[in-house]
Amino acid sequence: MKIKAIAANTFREAIRDRILYLLLFFAAASLIFSRLLALLTVGDRVKIIKDVGLASLSLFGALMAILMGTGLVYKEIDKKTIYTLLSKPIHRYQFLLGKYLGLVLTLLVMLSLMSLIFLAIVFAHTLRVEWPLLVAIFYIFIEICLITAVAIFFSCFSTPILSSIFSLSFYLIGHLSWGLEAPISKMKPGLVKILAQIVYTFLPDLENFNFKTEIVHHLPLPSKVFLFSAAYGIFYIIFLLALAVLVFRKRDFI
Amino acid sequence: MAVILRVENLHKSFKVGFIPKKKKILKGISLEVKEGEIFGYLGPNGAGKTTTLKCILGLIFPEKGNIKIFNQPHLSLKAKEKVGYLPENPYFYDYLTATEFLQFYCQLSLLKKKEKEEKIPQLLRLVGLEESADLQLRKFSRGMLQRIGLAQALIHDPSLIFLDEPLGGLDPLGRKEIRDIIVRLKEEGKTVFLCSHILQDIEMICDQVAIIVNGQIVNQGSLQDLISEKILFTEITLSGINSDNLKNIGEVISSTGGKTLVKVVNEDNIEKVIDIVHRQKGKIHSLIPRTATLEDLFVDMVKQR
Amino acid sequence: MKKSIVALILIVSLAAFMALKVKVDKISRAKIPGSSIIYLPSGKYLKYGTFGYSSLLADLIYLWAIQYYSNYSIKDRFQYLDHIFSVIAELDPHYLDPYEIGAIIAVYEARDLNLAFKILDRGLQKNPDQWIFPFEAGHYAQMTVKDYHLAQIYYKKAMEIPGAPPITKRLYANAAFNVGDYQTAWNSWKEVYQTAPDERIKKIASAHLYRIKSTLDIKTLKKAIARYKLKFGTRPQTLSELVRAGLLASLPRDLDGKNYLYNPQTGEVEAPSNPWKR
Repeated sequence: MKIKAIAANTFREAIRDRILYLLLFFAAASLIFSRLLALLTVGDRVKIIKDVGLASLSLFGALMAILMGTGLVYKEIDKKTIYTLLSKPIHRYQFLLGKYLGLVLTLLVMLSLMSLIFLAIVFAHTLRVEWPLLVAIFYIFIEICLITAVAIFFSCFSTPILSSIFSLSFYLIGHLSWGLEAPISKMKPGLVKILAQIVYTFLPDLENFNFKTEIVHHLPLPSKVFLFSAAYGIFYIIFLLALAVLVFRKRDFI
Repeated sequence: MAVILRVENLHKSFKVGFIPKKKKILKGISLEVKEGEIFGYLGPNGAGKTTTLKCILGLIFPEKGNIKIFNQPHLSLKAKEKVGYLPENPYFYDYLTATEFLQFYCQLSLLKKKEKEEKIPQLLRLVGLEESADLQLRKFSRGMLQRIGLAQALIHDPSLIFLDEPLGGLDPLGRKEIRDIIVRLKEEGKTVFLCSHILQDIEMICDQVAIIVNGQIVNQGSLQDLISEKILFTEITLSGINSDNLKNIGEVISSTGGKTLVKVVNEDNIEKVIDIVHRQKGKIHSLIPRTATLEDLFVDMVKQR
Repeated sequence: MKKSIVALILIVSLAAFMALKVKVDKISRAKIPGSSIIYLPSGKYLKYGTFGYSSLLADLIYLWAIQYYSNYSIKDRFQYLDHIFSVIAELDPHYLDPYEIGAIIAVYEARDLNLAFKILDRGLQKNPDQWIFPFEAGHYAQMTVKDYHLAQIYYKKAMEIPGAPPITKRLYANAAFNVGDYQTAWNSWKEVYQTAPDERIKKIASAHLYRIKSTLDIKTLKKAIARYKLKFGTRPQTLSELVRAGLLASLPRDLDGKNYLYNPQTGEVEAPSNPWKR
């Protein structure tokens, strides 16, 4: 399959990017730092390690997604490697999807590495393998895939710096949009409220993938949440990729 | 001979500048390329050569106009399967080796595995890179990149090959090799569309030529027709005679180290010069008739605009 | 891919994720994002990590805390109430709201009065010019557990801070009275009476003074009656007999100069007037 070929090529290229290893280093550093924090804290020590650990995975994963995704398509256009590719009998959407999948694969590898370090540190403290943590990590991965889709979308028409800013904004909005729910529900019913609700529903809600707190505190979660959140993520990704394909289709490569 | 590439009335503008102003690059380009010929596409910088090429290849979308390759819409996969492209100043993935690079492109062209395994060494041999098969592309010289680019363009055995400045940056030996490859492709029945500045090379290998200036085709036709075989003038290098005698017969271009270079227009005047040299016991060092070259034509066309 | 197909996928996926978002929102989750704040190290260390933004961080944590503590679905959310508010105090000791709100949460939600006092004490310690903290502490002492002694201490502290409202003194005096510290109460009410800015306050002070005097007087009279009984076997018929028996130098009268009322049957002594209706 042509998409597979491009994905494999993208993976090979992305995995060589030194930025990834720099971020991996910082992630490892912060995981080790969590051990230090554990000594200073008031309360259950392991919990802070789990919390900081999951937060690091989430944060550095997002950074990797943004930094790599925004450069990916732009680099091909800038270095003109894209010319020979697109003159071959492949569709533009195949190119884009291949790039996305290659990047997702790269991030999967990176996240797995970080998770391994994380779980090892937790194991050192509890002498148990904590399987529920893997659930939290899985949803962190879905969140990262979504951020990657955004980054690639912006990278189709914008420079890396602007794309990074936009993607970062997406990330921040995604984590703060839950705060709009309360004020909107208190609004007076009317056209403005309906418009506000539509905007609110459209805005990304990355907190849907945030099960860190429940899992660390062993709080119960209704199983529906897992299914719906994952579906939400997948459809949002499809939406963004479709949008990227539309933008990319008619783009002139001067 | 069948027309395999037909371009009709191509128009394209770009928005340039901070406050976007529309700049028209292609102002109605039409051309035809027949099967089995080497087609030269020339023009000064900024005339629109590369833009035309990118429109044909689907990298740019024209505002107006029609492009058909092998009678198919130019963007269809069927058309693209028969097309190969080598861009100007090619740049490829640094970290791949030559073989890996060609393997990747093979995968995009849906060649069967067995064909792949034979094709790649064959192509490397064709472009003279079989020794660098396992060298990373980042270590390739400019000339080597051109060659691997050519290999990539040929990988799925296309019938119509687009080359944008394929001889740029090559040393004379390299240029000869590429020229030879292009001629060989023609012998295999393939069609080559060549964009170039280097007029001497075009003159050497092209059958048909189109000249584009300022977004319009100013001249088109077979090379033979465009350049008459008429001798324009003759350059004679001689020594040992009094230059005054040559006054009405020819133009003295230069006179250094005892040798004089004279430009003679009329064929009759050549006889007269030879006569004078003979009588004054001088010496003729060289006698070179000059026909109109593509360069002359080219410069003329550009000057007219 | 045809443009129409891509557009179709676009619209379908848009509708899908928006519908899912609405669905997910409906599922309530027993959490507020960001609860990892609970595991913040002590405020002292945190200050070093905040690069000068400690008061901003204090604001943020405070805002978060309000959300967190308003979320009734979190069962044991008071476990770290002390810690969180102490972190806020360390980060920005002069941020006054958190002390008051922390105390309110402690009193009314966590039902931990000692914690409320701890928070308010800290507030006063870091902000000695804020009379509101001991003022409220006095209220809590007096109203929730009727600990007038503690209330008296707090009201005194509050009283001494310039800017404290005049009512503080009155509350102090009242608390003293309730604790049985009549001397302090009398003196304080006297001061209030003398410095009263209007008739209303004068009247209030006067009523309290009346009450104190009558309480003390009634005590004295009752003691004398008990001694009489011991000596003579029965209760006196009138109060004047106490004087005749030599048990009292003179009969105390109420603040207005009236005599106290005595019921020989029951032995009860009452003030002739209602202090509030004179």
